[in-house]
Amino acid sequence: MGLRFYFLRQALLNMKRNVTVHILSLGTIVASLLILGAFLLLFGNLSNWLRQWGTALSMSVYLKDGTSAYKRDKIDSFIRGLPGAQIRRFISKEDAMNELKAALREEAGFLERLTHNPLPASYEVVFEASRTEEIDPEKIKQQLEALDGVEEVQHNRQWLKRLEGVLDVVSLIGYIIGGLLCLCVVFIVTNTIKLTIYSRRDEIEILKLVGATDWFIKLPFLLEGMMQGILGGGLAILALFLGYLAFSAKKIYLIGPAPLEFVFLPVGYVAIVFFLSTVLGIIGSFIAIGRFFDV
Amino acid sequence: MIQLFHVSKNFGPSIALNTIDIKIAKGEFVFVTGPSGAGKTTLLRLIFGAEKPATGHILINAINLNRISRSKLDLLRRKIGFVFQDFKLLPKKTVFENVAIALEVTGFRPKVVKKKTHQTLRLVGLAEKEKAYPLSLSGGEQQRVAIARAIVKDPLILLADEPTGNLDPDLTREIMTLFKNIHQRGTTVVIATHSRQLLEGTDCRTIVLNQGNISGDTR
Repeated sequence: MGLRFYFLRQALLNMKRNVTVHILSLGTIVASLLILGAFLLLFGNLSNWLRQWGTALSMSVYLKDGTSAYKRDKIDSFIRGLPGAQIRRFISKEDAMNELKAALREEAGFLERLTHNPLPASYEVVFEASRTEEIDPEKIKQQLEALDGVEEVQHNRQWLKRLEGVLDVVSLIGYIIGGLLCLCVVFIVTNTIKLTIYSRRDEIEILKLVGATDWFIKLPFLLEGMMQGILGGGLAILALFLGYLAFSAKKIYLIGPAPLEFVFLPVGYVAIVFFLSTVLGIIGSFIAIGRFFDV
Repeated sequence: MIQLFHVSKNFGPSIALNTIDIKIAKGEFVFVTGPSGAGKTTLLRLIFGAEKPATGHILINAINLNRISRSKLDLLRRKIGFVFQDFKLLPKKTVFENVAIALEVTGFRPKVVKKKTHQTLRLVGLAEKEKAYPLSLSGGEQQRVAIARAIVKDPLILLADEPTGNLDPDLTREIMTLFKNIHQRGTTVVIATHSRQLLEGTDCRTIVLNQGNISGDTR
């Protein structure tokens, strides 16, 4: 019992004696883990959103210019006859232009120079989530495009495949960046522990001379690295959570009916970040005591 | 207790010890003397296991240092106290902490560490200076802290390298009395010194080294 406290006390004393080095390295570890955590947060939310978006089905049905009211009624009735379909709204050419102007804000000036409105009128159609499994969007798209007055039909699942491809690339980049950041954490911890070892070399020599075993001397340094990892991981998660709170109040709408709700990392991910930082701390100090411990 | 068989040690081309044989029995009080560079410090460091001999064997309490593992050597060192010429005290630790360190490494419970450290500091006359830092102490007091650290674990062997080298005659007497007291408790004491004053009138065994050879032994 006493010995365990001795190791812990030594590790804490080491940190206290080299407080500046430890604060600097802790800051860098937190920054690295924060980047990693932020990536996980964004990636997790994007995947989540894509999943939600993939289960919901929505379509935009663009009409040809000059489509008569009679043809529109026929299109309208056809859509209402589709299983689980609901017309969320009809966007006239004027509404489309107004929305574009609102979206472009100050840059909308060039639209005034247009001699005619090039934007088509369209229907925004959503399907009940419970019935999306029985619907083949490609088939409906073909049926709708065969109707007189329909220019083009786009549905969100066309985009989904492309976005999934993008997400795969993003995740690969994430793994590479994550790996580099982990190496960075190990490097920082190794150097911090190396500095601590140098600052205590006289004490280490004396400990050896009075009969301390290698592990008796090494253990506080390992604990020190582990504590750096634990503190770094904890602070990074806290900072990430505070950052998340700033965003969490907002619901972000992209195309489609599913709003991008920002959720925090699942408990499992938080545990992984924490565990990873602790392990990286231990690995860093292990390397340091292996390479720079020479008594 | 300490046996050296045909032990040689050289540092590059310079020969520190030249095929020497020494036997020191349990409970002996031995001076190792000779001029500077005679090999006194090397001899103590070899006995302590801080250096390896180029040839020959060293047995401490029947354990051959040539065949001992690193971890076993650490454990053996717990039975040997060493008083260094330069004291080797930690300036940022108090007198108490400097002495207690020798017990902490052996895994004693904190209560025992406290008790034994207090006792030892009382024995060397430093009970009042427990909380002081080494640099605030006189040379003699620092030497006594170094001795306290060496004896706190009740070693079988006490090695001291020029323990009175920097002390005035009064302090030298004081320190020597301390070594005699430790010896009376049954510890084998080996003191390396080049001080003639220390050896005058002594009836203790004296080994004289000269250029790495034994030139005299009063045994």
